[in-house]
Amino acid sequence: MSDQYVNEPMLDLFIFESTQLIEQMELVIISNEKSSSYSSEAINEIFRIMHTIKGSSAMMLYNNISMLAHSMEDLFFVLREDKPQNVNYSELSDLVLEGIDFIKLEIAKIRNGDEADGDPSELIESLKVFYSTIKGQHTNISHGADSQENRPIENPQYYISKVKTNTPTSQNIFEATLFFEPDCGMENLRAFGVVNDLQELVEELCHIPEDLDREDSASVICEQGFTLFLKTQHSFDEIHKALVQTFSLKNLQLTQVDNSDLFENLQNESHLMGESSLKVPTVLGKNTFPTDPGENENLLAATQQSIISVSVAKLDQLMDLVGEMVIAEAMVTQNPDLKGLELNNFEKAARQLRKITSELQDIVMSVRMVPLAGTFQKMNRTVRDMCKKLDKEVRLQLIGQETEVDKNIIEHISDPLMHLIRNSIDHGIEMPSEREAKGKTRSGTIILEAKNAGGDVLIIIRDDGEGFNKDRILAKALEKGLIQESDDQIPDKEIYNLVFLPGFSTNETVTEFSGRGVGMDVVVKNIEAVGGAITADSVPGEGTTIILKIPLTLAIIDGMNIKVGDSCYTIPTTAIKESFRPKLTDVIVDPDNNEMMMVRGQCFPIVRLHQIYHVQTEVTQFTEGIIIMVEQDNKTLCIFADGLVGQQQVVVKALPEYIHNRKKVKGLAGCTLLGDGSISLILDVGGLMN
Amino acid sequence: MKKLLIVDDASFMRLSIRNMLQKYDIEIVGEAENGSIGLAMYKELRPDVVTMDITMPEMSGIEALKAIKAFDPQAKVIMVSAMGQEGMVKESIICGAKTFIVKPFKEEFLYQTISKVLGI
Repeated sequence: MSDQYVNEPMLDLFIFESTQLIEQMELVIISNEKSSSYSSEAINEIFRIMHTIKGSSAMMLYNNISMLAHSMEDLFFVLREDKPQNVNYSELSDLVLEGIDFIKLEIAKIRNGDEADGDPSELIESLKVFYSTIKGQHTNISHGADSQENRPIENPQYYISKVKTNTPTSQNIFEATLFFEPDCGMENLRAFGVVNDLQELVEELCHIPEDLDREDSASVICEQGFTLFLKTQHSFDEIHKALVQTFSLKNLQLTQVDNSDLFENLQNESHLMGESSLKVPTVLGKNTFPTDPGENENLLAATQQSIISVSVAKLDQLMDLVGEMVIAEAMVTQNPDLKGLELNNFEKAARQLRKITSELQDIVMSVRMVPLAGTFQKMNRTVRDMCKKLDKEVRLQLIGQETEVDKNIIEHISDPLMHLIRNSIDHGIEMPSEREAKGKTRSGTIILEAKNAGGDVLIIIRDDGEGFNKDRILAKALEKGLIQESDDQIPDKEIYNLVFLPGFSTNETVTEFSGRGVGMDVVVKNIEAVGGAITADSVPGEGTTIILKIPLTLAIIDGMNIKVGDSCYTIPTTAIKESFRPKLTDVIVDPDNNEMMMVRGQCFPIVRLHQIYHVQTEVTQFTEGIIIMVEQDNKTLCIFADGLVGQQQVVVKALPEYIHNRKKVKGLAGCTLLGDGSISLILDVGGLMN
Repeated sequence: MKKLLIVDDASFMRLSIRNMLQKYDIEIVGEAENGSIGLAMYKELRPDVVTMDITMPEMSGIEALKAIKAFDPQAKVIMVSAMGQEGMVKESIICGAKTFIVKPFKEEFLYQTISKVLGI
């Protein structure tokens, strides 16, 4: 396609559609592979997908993708048409998945604006080898021609001289040579079209090249043109008119020939060669067409689209705007100018505005929600690849795929999930023989489950492998200096969670897939980047459970604003258990000078915000300020602040680079704008606890 | 203005054809994603010309071509094919397709073919 038509939306659509098709195909392959043979629907579907990708990528001039897709299409054509026996489906799956990976990689390059420069020739070569092995089994039935979809031509028919009428001498004989436009493609079939159209007009007809079904006939026509000899009762003008109608015609030479012998000779020649020059392929009658009118009506109704696709960038923008609006609403309704005024009507209107804003926000949020199914389904491939390489048997069970999470968050958890699953298979699930010896089922099970829990989504990865080895984790943590002393004080659960610390890896042998010790670290970073948390639990010998806690959405949270001196902080309301004005008698100071708060017989550590963030304030006595008790991951902390300001929805904005990376200020999750235009820092409760 | 119906299961191809024809005097009255929808839309919209992909789910281009021809023998259908589909192209010519184009094709070629089919 000429460059001017390769515009952005088309590229986006190409990427989007191809990615979707590829993923669909991957699923088909994996689900079929399990039954160790491909169903005919699957073969058909893969064939169609490869065909579509071949066409689209050729239009976009991504020839490497197109070539690869073509080879795969060829392969599946043979599978579809010849239905060969004894196909090594496992090998086939490997090959095709490899091809899928190649295309995925190229599409990723294209998406990043890079050149799609991968070389598929090696892959194509292996596809060809495979092709010939399955084709080889079938030489007796195969029809020789490599070109696919060339259906066998049965019962050759001559449609010249059907009735040999030797009489009318009024017949004209013409010689015509046609040249087609360069690059119009399939010249032999264009010629066939010409012959087909002339049927009505001519009595007898001969042409060069004779066999239009041969693949090389196209190139012959390209170089030498397509020459016709025809005997007809029609005049020169009529024939000329008919021939000029030919599509993609570049040049036509039509001359009247007097020598009728020429025609006879040509005909005889072709008969002598034993090869008919003109064949009409029998149209296979299997393409029966359902003519149920009711069905068609339904289909027409289906064409009226009820779903449109919107670019994520636009949704992000919309989300930002709604965020700004939430701030603006707070700015208006809580405007300092309004203080002390009696504004009954204004209050009413403001309430209405607030209601609509929050509804709008809910809708925008829900639009961005995407089911986890796609991400979960991808894990099938991971499990398959891992099992194949490690010779293990694992069954992946997916629960709660319909659970929805913000689109941005989904992007962040795909890699961590894949890594955790790999870890489970590599380190958790034992070899089949080992499992049998332990009295377990031969194949291990990994359950991937998602469920809603308040404002969070829990993603649980549970395997029935050998579980964490507590002693080895402790030894390793000690060796790496992650803990000071291996004592019995550390609860099991905390020991298991040591594996998430940077630089931790217990597997002595680093495998291709996991065990580099950076993986878990990256998993944690990714999960934390979206405000999530990760915990692990394990029962030795029975398996491991890893729980990812992911927030439903990133952008807007319910927060409690608190004041410390002139600064304002926001605590997510979901984390707050209670807030109260403390009595001095409840405060205990331990020997290390750590202040503790006694609440209903339990002690909790106190964090003075003004101290950790060095804020000037007059409120330093506990009795003058307020304690906000927050909880996360079953740990509780008391935060001491000057006072509560109020509860409101806040839009989470990322912290500036300077605060986040350069100064490395702890315990902050982000910042937000308040109604009066001031900035409030959002506290990260989990971070404060450390 | 002449009316065109695009039948192709790949939305990318539909958009390509639409983009290529935007500056010409051809109105794209519909886009169908498989043969049976294409047929239904043909009956409803009565376009002057149809571009028909060959390989599609539900109902292939050839089946749709036959059905459209059965419904309207004057129907002008241009098959959109790709290398390797020679057999199908041949079948479609016999079934009454006006002509065919081979992917990848250029804008000028597409327009020339359509205008010739329409006799513009």
